[in-house]
Amino acid sequence: MRDLIVITVAMVLVLVLSVAVASAASPIGLVKVTEGSATVQRGDETLPARLGLALQEGDILRTGADGRVGVVLRDDTRLSLGPESEILIDRFAFAPAQGRLGLVVKMARGIMAFVSGNIAKLSHDAVRVETPVAIVGVRGTQFLVKVE
Amino acid sequence: MLAGERWYEGCRGSLVGGALCLMLLASCTTPVPPPVPKQSMFLVVPDPEGKVGQITVTNQTGTQVLDQPRQASTVQSANDAPSPPATLQETEIKQIFGEALAAQPTAPARFILYFKDDSEELTPESELLLPEVFRTVRDRGALDISVIGHTDTIGTRDYNYQLSLRRARSVADLLVKQGVDRKILDIESHGEDNLLVKTGDQVREPRNRRVEITVW
Repeated sequence: MRDLIVITVAMVLVLVLSVAVASAASPIGLVKVTEGSATVQRGDETLPARLGLALQEGDILRTGADGRVGVVLRDDTRLSLGPESEILIDRFAFAPAQGRLGLVVKMARGIMAFVSGNIAKLSHDAVRVETPVAIVGVRGTQFLVKVE
Repeated sequence: MLAGERWYEGCRGSLVGGALCLMLLASCTTPVPPPVPKQSMFLVVPDPEGKVGQITVTNQTGTQVLDQPRQASTVQSANDAPSPPATLQETEIKQIFGEALAAQPTAPARFILYFKDDSEELTPESELLLPEVFRTVRDRGALDISVIGHTDTIGTRDYNYQLSLRRARSVADLLVKQGVDRKILDIESHGEDNLLVKTGDQVREPRNRRVEITVW
């Protein structure tokens, strides 16, 4: 039984480490507009969403009661949040030459304006916004979402 | 904050949790909690260029396609089908979404500068474009500028990598001379590997001898 636990712990460690390595990826975009209380949560870290902050896949953007934030992703997708809003940029892949295209945004609450970019232009089923009650497939270009 | 507000974090954790359960060869008895029902509204509007696109709103009970200006669908819960499209007034949209729309960033600006054959000297036409590049960088309060050099396929791959690096650096130097902070410059060299106009090897193609600038 003890062996089993040791093996289990080791395997979990490997899994956790590989997730950590995967999340330390190259920037996928940056913060272009910020006002009031707005943060980016990256793993256990919470960073103020200051102008020019580079974003990574897996980042959670969050605004407070007086907060707003606007970001541009590498494929020209533009996302902006009003107050009391929260999204997770769950997946971002923009490597057309390798055929890797995808953008998945999970929205927990608040209001968001979304202008799709080149990923949606190049691939019809690659861009998705998920809320707790439904999934949006994005052919383009501008749409708005409110999650209560 | 409600527990349900982190519904997606629960999903992420379940991978590790699931693997752990499997490895312990024990049955995983904690069921994933069902998402808390949360009403959502989805709305298509013309983009900043005036074009109306299309979105589909789907859950397990139905789908709606929205492709007309200001068409909205609401979803009461994951078990309720998306409502048929209804058209909202501009004033309602402003009222509900104004704060998010106010934070919308502008799209990055892109420029292509062309170079003389086997040289980091700009073509006369591209020289003329420089003032507009500088103006854009200034007016936008650029936060990040990507400068990527390219070549055509004449010469070896290694030579072209060096040549396109020199091209990118010469453009970067021009920007720095205009007062741009070097720290916001992101200089790359793609050599002959990222042709604008596809050609075979050893082909002279003026349109491939370029530096692409993206102003964020």
